[in-house]
Order: sequence, then C-alpha cells, then structure tokens
Amino acid sequence: MSAVPQAVPALVIRVLVHATDPVRREVLRQLVIDAGHLPVDSPMDADAVLSDQVHAGFAAMPEHSGQGLFTPRELEVLGAIGDGFTNKMIARRLEISPHTVKFHVESLLRKLGARTRAEAVAKAREHRLSNTVEL
Amino acid sequence: MSLRTVRSETPRRAASSGPGHSRGVWSSESSVSRRPDVVVASEQSLPERDEFELVMPGGTQAAAKLAGRDPGTNIAVLRLSQPASPPVLVPGETQAGALALALGADGTGGVSARLGLVNLAGTQWHSVAGGLIDRRIVLDLRLGRAEEGGPVFSAAGAFLGMSTLGPRARVLVIPAATLERIVPILLKEGRVARGWLGVALHPVAVPDALRETAGQASGMMVMSLAEGGPAAKAGIVAGDIVLSVNDAAASGFRRIAGQFAADSIGRKAALRVIRGGNLLSLDAVIEARPPT
Repeated sequence: MSAVPQAVPALVIRVLVHATDPVRREVLRQLVIDAGHLPVDSPMDADAVLSDQVHAGFAAMPEHSGQGLFTPRELEVLGAIGDGFTNKMIARRLEISPHTVKFHVESLLRKLGARTRAEAVAKAREHRLSNTVEL
Repeated sequence: MSLRTVRSETPRRAASSGPGHSRGVWSSESSVSRRPDVVVASEQSLPERDEFELVMPGGTQAAAKLAGRDPGTNIAVLRLSQPASPPVLVPGETQAGALALALGADGTGGVSARLGLVNLAGTQWHSVAGGLIDRRIVLDLRLGRAEEGGPVFSAAGAFLGMSTLGPRARVLVIPAATLERIVPILLKEGRVARGWLGVALHPVAVPDALRETAGQASGMMVMSLAEGGPAAKAGIVAGDIVLSVNDAAASGFRRIAGQFAADSIGRKAALRVIRGGNLLSLDAVIEARPPT
C-alpha cells in the first residue's frame, strides 16, 4: 500500500489561528499546515479563522415550557452515568434499588431523545450548558 | 440621544490579540451633552484592552480609549482623542416584514452593506448576562463577524440600533432605546451595575411528592455558588431548589431576572427553597454583580 499522500487542497486558504494557550496555538497551526493551507498572523490577511474559542453569540436567557425538565433525582443519575457508573453502581451510590435506577434511566433517555447512555450524556451536557444561568 | 456613524473600526493590523475585533464602530451624540468624541461598538467582539486605533472614513487613523463595556447588553463605548463629525441619526421603530439595512466597516475606511427583512420585532428580553434589551429585533440577513456592531436602518432611513451576532450567527439588533439607556451610564461609570445572588441555576421539575407543598411544578436547582456571595451568606447550599424570589415564581429565568435590575442592589431577596424534602425560607441581600 502506498503512503498517505500529503493533502493538496484545490484552494489554499489563509487561516488565522487563534488560541490563548501557546501550545494549543502551535497544534492548531500545524493542523493548518498539514492540511496544505497557510497560517497567517493578521486578521487582515486571513480568509478564515480557526479558533479554540466557541463564539456562541449574544444569547437570550433560556426559557422552558416546564415540560421535559429533569427531576433532581434524574440529574443525580445523569451525573453518575457521566462518571461511567453502571445501573448497579448507581443504585449503590444513591441507595435506591436497581429497578428504580432503570426507571430513571429510561425516563432520562426519553426526555433527551437519546438511544444510548453515551448519547444521553452528550445531549445532557449541551442541555445543561445552555440552560444554566448565573444570577 | 441621536447616534451618528463614523464608519470607523479597530484596524485589523493593530489588533493583535486574536480574531473577532469589532469593525463596525460608530459614534453617538447625546442630546443632553453633545459628545462627538464617543464611539459605540459591539462588546463581545471588542478585544480586552483599553486603547484602540480606529480607522476613520477615508482611511485615516484615530486613537481611542475604552470608556466602558457592558456584556449584559453587548454595548461598548470608546472615547476618541479627537472629536469626529459623523452624520446625525434619527432613531425609529420597525415591525416584522419591514426592510432593514445593516452597515459594517470594510477595514479601510469604507462601508459594507447588508439588506434583509425584519424577521421578528417583539417586546423586551433579558440576555444570559442579565442585561435588559428594550425590544427583540431579529433580522433575516447574514452578517460577517467583521461587520458586527454597525448601525442598522429602516428603509425610511430611521436608525434602529446596533447589529449583534446571536447564537447560530443569527443577526440581532440592540435597539436605539437600549443604547440611549446604557451609553450614558457607561460614559459616566464605565460599567452597568446589576443585582447579583451568586448562584448558577438550572431548571428542574419539582418531585411529585413535593408539588402540592411547593405549589408549582418546576423550580431552579442551585448548581453552584460563588464563595462568599449573597446566596452563600444567606445559607443557600448546592442542590437547593429555589421556588421563588421575592414572590416571583422561579419557574422561568425571565420571571426572576426582573428582580435583579440595578436598583435591586442592597435590597432583600426573600428565597423560598426546597431542601431535603422540606420547604425553607431564607433571606439574602442582593449585591452588585462583580466584574467578569
């Protein structure tokens, strides 16, 4: 088998790399070079920006209908799933029966529209980030 | 206050701290105190520093100092070292379906323009950072990040406000009424004071067994507390479910956000919470939100 060819893009894009951490910045710069594009230092010269910051934009306070909210217990179960706990381990940690844990997990998956535990954790993180407000 | 465009910008070359520098910067003039030396910009796209070089119409450069910034309303104000002479803007209203023209700066002293429909024109709203925005105006047009922070006009030429990028690159307008409220405060005090409880809240369903006692189906769980903050001092702990703040049910953020305007600082926040299945009442004293 032949070696993986160096990426040669149809169009070389001048990319401004932005990261506060210098190590991270170097990693991103190398990424740009490996892809056959050109890292630049000034926004003036750049066609695109590669940044480690998520520019979420100016957002409104989240509003919810009251439907599909998690109960405090479900949040605890969700946290435990995120820590990689099995139902049996969660039952021990929260001092409830494995049957009850199963019930909570099913409810969580339904509310999040997730098919797997991993999907539930990913969706829950997003949900939590966008629905937690500091007052 | 009338607002006037300078079509100036922070020069891309001089801006060294990374991408997202404000390019659509313009000037404002208060009818009370005429300030031809004041420039308004989008706060979220302005780098964290105190001194700026602006590109004026025609490409000349001008030095400016930061006068104040408010993440709550996405408004930043700069003071020019030399007064400019931008045209006078006349504020106006708009409605859904009307045309809107958003101007940005091209970085060399010229203007870029975008035309679109007003997608939504609604009532006041609160930003995540706690600021009150006087009207909800969403535009059905695309805006480059470099163009953010410029003035938006109606088809009749009335000044609607400042363009602002929202989530998923939606284009919002910070209305002229909000600029009129916030700019003078920033010029005077450098920031906008807001009430603060020192908690991160996440909406939760009240457990079935407690719904009747609580009198509501949802509340806000305390996810974390600021050390030494008003809530911590009042004895609130992580995991408490806040049901109400001063009789405003904590069933939605908007409802309780109104309790934390600038005039709330120093006032009592009566908190009704659920802890371990019991209802508790705790009083906190609202403090000023510390600078971020």
